[in-house]
Amino acid sequence: MWTEKYRPHSLDDIVNQEEIVNRLKSFVKAQNVPHCIFAGPPGTGKTTAAICLAHDLYGEGYREHVMELNASDERGINVVRETVKTFARTRSIGEVTFKILILDEADNMTSDAQQALRRTMERYTETARFILIANYSGKIIEPIQSRCAPFRFTYLAREDVVKRIHRISQNEGLTISEDGVAAILEISGGDLRRTINVLQTAASVGKPIDAGTVYSVVGRANPYDVREMMITALNGDFAEARNKLREMILKYGLAGSDIMGQVHSEAFRLNVPDKWKIKLADIIGEIDYRLIQGSNEEIQLSALLAKLVEAGAEIKRGY
Amino acid sequence: MHVPWILKHKPKTLSEVVGNEDAKRKIFQWVQSWSKGVPKKRALFLYGSPGTGKTVSIEALANDLEMELVQSNASDYRTAEAVERFAGRASQYGTLSGKRRLILFDELDGITGTADRGGLSVITEIVKKTCSPIVLTANNAYDPRFSTLRNYCELMEFKKFTRTQVEKHLKRICSIEGLEAEDAALKLIAERASGDVRSAVNDLQALAQGKERLTYDDVSWLASRDRKEVIFNVLRSIFYAKDSLMAKDAVDMADVDPDMLLEWIYENTPYHVKDPKELAAVMEMLALADIYRGRIASTQNWSLMRYFIDFVTAGVAASWSKKSPGWVPFKFPTRISQMSSSRAYRQMLSAIGMKVGKRCHVSSARAVKEILPYMRVIFESNHEMGAGLAKWFDLDEDMINYLAKK
Repeated sequence: MWTEKYRPHSLDDIVNQEEIVNRLKSFVKAQNVPHCIFAGPPGTGKTTAAICLAHDLYGEGYREHVMELNASDERGINVVRETVKTFARTRSIGEVTFKILILDEADNMTSDAQQALRRTMERYTETARFILIANYSGKIIEPIQSRCAPFRFTYLAREDVVKRIHRISQNEGLTISEDGVAAILEISGGDLRRTINVLQTAASVGKPIDAGTVYSVVGRANPYDVREMMITALNGDFAEARNKLREMILKYGLAGSDIMGQVHSEAFRLNVPDKWKIKLADIIGEIDYRLIQGSNEEIQLSALLAKLVEAGAEIKRGY
Repeated sequence: MHVPWILKHKPKTLSEVVGNEDAKRKIFQWVQSWSKGVPKKRALFLYGSPGTGKTVSIEALANDLEMELVQSNASDYRTAEAVERFAGRASQYGTLSGKRRLILFDELDGITGTADRGGLSVITEIVKKTCSPIVLTANNAYDPRFSTLRNYCELMEFKKFTRTQVEKHLKRICSIEGLEAEDAALKLIAERASGDVRSAVNDLQALAQGKERLTYDDVSWLASRDRKEVIFNVLRSIFYAKDSLMAKDAVDMADVDPDMLLEWIYENTPYHVKDPKELAAVMEMLALADIYRGRIASTQNWSLMRYFIDFVTAGVAASWSKKSPGWVPFKFPTRISQMSSSRAYRQMLSAIGMKVGKRCHVSSARAVKEILPYMRVIFESNHEMGAGLAKWFDLDEDMINYLAKK
């Protein structure tokens, strides 16, 4: 996977997030790292920075001193009590006397597990330093936040992403047109992981890459269409809209929150009167809130579709 | 418009009614005996499980003997006044056409204490002095509510059909409908119906309508389900309840798993509730029920279940005008069958997600969401690159076939 092939190994290779990289380099120099929180949107280099930091600190054999855990896969309290503790309490052999534990997607940890983590961090500071990676630092409990140095990652600047695209293209011998680059940028925003995945997929089709190739592979990768589902509901066909919803959930494994995100951004692009857009936002927001309270996401989302059916009928009558 | 097969294929004459030969002969003789004078017991009380042919036998008999059939069932109000209005006169006077008259009080179990106040005692009074034969039906004649009424009636039991009898009936329908059905499929439907022909026919229709062939696979998942007829009755009683209490009672009458009930109502709502405003209102009730379900799950406070039930029953019934769009067959909750049929599929997804996630430093869920979609396209369009990835991720053959959509 090109995302891995082109993942930087050393802090020196990281071209963006300059301030952060400089601070991390100073940690390496001092051979001391505090507990850290790396927060920011996906594909902005949080995990990469953590791995590079470890690499620069310990050298090529860094893997012996580092443990990488993904909290979404291992989110329970038992992981903290067993895996994390066992790793944290033994001393590292070598110049640097502590180990590094990278806890990815830490905002998905249960609050029980976070509470347990807080004690572990305190007790084993001597032997282990924690790097918590999260999209939202707010989802990490206060007591942990106060023990960590915060780092805020932001979306990559346009020119940095473009530079990356060109470097990879050159290396892989790809021809990519100007509008192809623009299309990739539009689709992936400042998310470098998505940028590279789209680029590799477009390259796999085997032609010179232009905007058409890019949009076509992205369309093939995401064949479900949230907008289509909403329009079907607004036109009054609830049963069909519900079928589309089911396909997204069952076939493509989309979570309710993913669907809600797209529903919300599509709402303002729909061909409905402006005053309805804000009404729809209210309806969507209410259902979004309920997703967490309820037990069955499909039923909540279907209730939303039924509200769209109702809204569609009222819009047609000129309200 | 759908015609329910249970009506379409209803026996027209008594000889076409399957089973219960003894009971059928006795009914025939008892009705005929009225021409020689009023018998000692002026009413016949037919009882037996649902779908054993009680009502159908009476309808077929009336048809055979060219009698005028006057009937009332559980969907009618049966308060004292309503019963009096319906049967008081009919039991005393002859018909205008000169035909003989047969009065049928169907589904007596459905008489409720509150909504049909006084109905049963008026029926008893009418039975005592009727000049036309009266037939009553109920699932359980020994319900204490019927103790007085029972004294004035000839009791007759309708026995459950055997599996072979039900199967035979299903086969007849299949041949009329031009449906090719595997024996094993019909056998399972018949078995699941446990002697209830109506339930079997409804199942057959729900599973087979629109198909040319019915295989065992189409019906195999029935094996683990609740009795369908029970559910169908409950659904009807909820969607078309006269008032909120009746809708709530429907659940008490039958032992239905509340979560499954929600699935059934949720599945069938759009086929019954057509008005957009009402559809939104009914779905809102189901969404509220789901919120209570979430509260139960997070607090383990199961006494909250009563509010869940309120929304699923009374909430649904009260949220729409109950203008039926014609007869609509109830559908099985496809979400459940889709979930189970896609379980293997989702397991495959997360197994691949696990492998990909480990190497790409993301969780398996995020790998499924953000990386797998692109891998699919790569595997489809570039075998060389796909093979490289398969090796690097250490994917097994099933996983590769899945990604390449083989």
